[in-house]
Amino acid sequence: MESTPGRISVQTHVLNANQQTAAANRERFATEGLLVMNLMSAPGAGKTTLLEATIKALQGQFQLAVIEGDLQTDLDAQRIEALGVRAYQITTGTVCHLDARMVARALDAFPISGLDLLVVENVGNLICPASFDLGEGLRVVVCSVAEGAEKPKKYPVMFNKANVVLINKIDLAAASGADLNELMTNVRDVNPDATIFALSSRTGEGMGAWIHWLQQAVELRAVPVMAGMSSRRLGPAL
Amino acid sequence: MHEISIAESIVQIAEAKAREQNAQSIQIIKLRLGTFTTIVPEALQFAFEIARQDTLSCNAQLDIEIVPMTMRCVVCDATMQPVCGLCLFCEQCGFPLKIISGEELQVEYIEVDSEKEEAPWNRRQDEFRSRPMY
Repeated sequence: MESTPGRISVQTHVLNANQQTAAANRERFATEGLLVMNLMSAPGAGKTTLLEATIKALQGQFQLAVIEGDLQTDLDAQRIEALGVRAYQITTGTVCHLDARMVARALDAFPISGLDLLVVENVGNLICPASFDLGEGLRVVVCSVAEGAEKPKKYPVMFNKANVVLINKIDLAAASGADLNELMTNVRDVNPDATIFALSSRTGEGMGAWIHWLQQAVELRAVPVMAGMSSRRLGPAL
Repeated sequence: MHEISIAESIVQIAEAKAREQNAQSIQIIKLRLGTFTTIVPEALQFAFEIARQDTLSCNAQLDIEIVPMTMRCVVCDATMQPVCGLCLFCEQCGFPLKIISGEELQVEYIEVDSEKEEAPWNRRQDEFRSRPMY
């Protein structure tokens, strides 16, 4: 087929090496029997505060641990440990995302047996982490209303790959002039299948529904299938 | 700037293939890049110039073929491309759309120079193969 002299067919996905490591991580998680959540957002969307509130709600019910990804500092790991939950900090230096190999290396130093849920809090960034599978079973993207309603349209890949989108800081909706409905519509446009929760991890508003959903996910060790998904703008029933 | 990681992977994939084929240097790396990835072609070219140093690709050209994003309606089968801002619902019937292209990120082929004299038995085989058949 290839007649050009010196041309060699390659046909290899650029992220092949990462995908293989992610598959190995996924197998390891399955063997250990835990759910792994990859938690992603822009810097300042409130990932860590949300995680603290989520941990407080699930503590005592499930065995939890957290892997934190940041460019610098172990401040986030300290915040998690302050709650009495084991945390491991990956500092990436200058790398703007976690990849499967970094997680695999962390697992060598951070035992996961006996866990029900491991949360991997990714580097705050709405672009790069979207491309790197870590081997997780659940992808959660947090978007705060203060970021502006158009963010899902501007960063569609990140939102498209999420199982769950948490719209955070709804207590600030009025103050920031953000239209919550427009934000929800934009999330839905780029990801018809996402499960969306609007909440405030500081006031606790809306947290109940998210926690209930997550409890189901941890018990199933998988993403629960919700009835009536993709219902907005659907045409007549088939 | 995850384009650096991407460029390093591209160089590694090309390098492994070229060495497997005993090539001496890589002239062209052909990449298919979808528009629904998080990779910016210009940034990737820049990162590639750094990543290729001291490898068989040090003089190689990164030839990027851009693959536009296309979606197909799961119900009425209409295909469409995003206009301004992605909306994964069919313009015609309102049902969700499936992404059918735009997520490509693949090294298609490399073009190499094999300066080393080829083994005579290989050449002889080729000569036999290229003889006309009567």
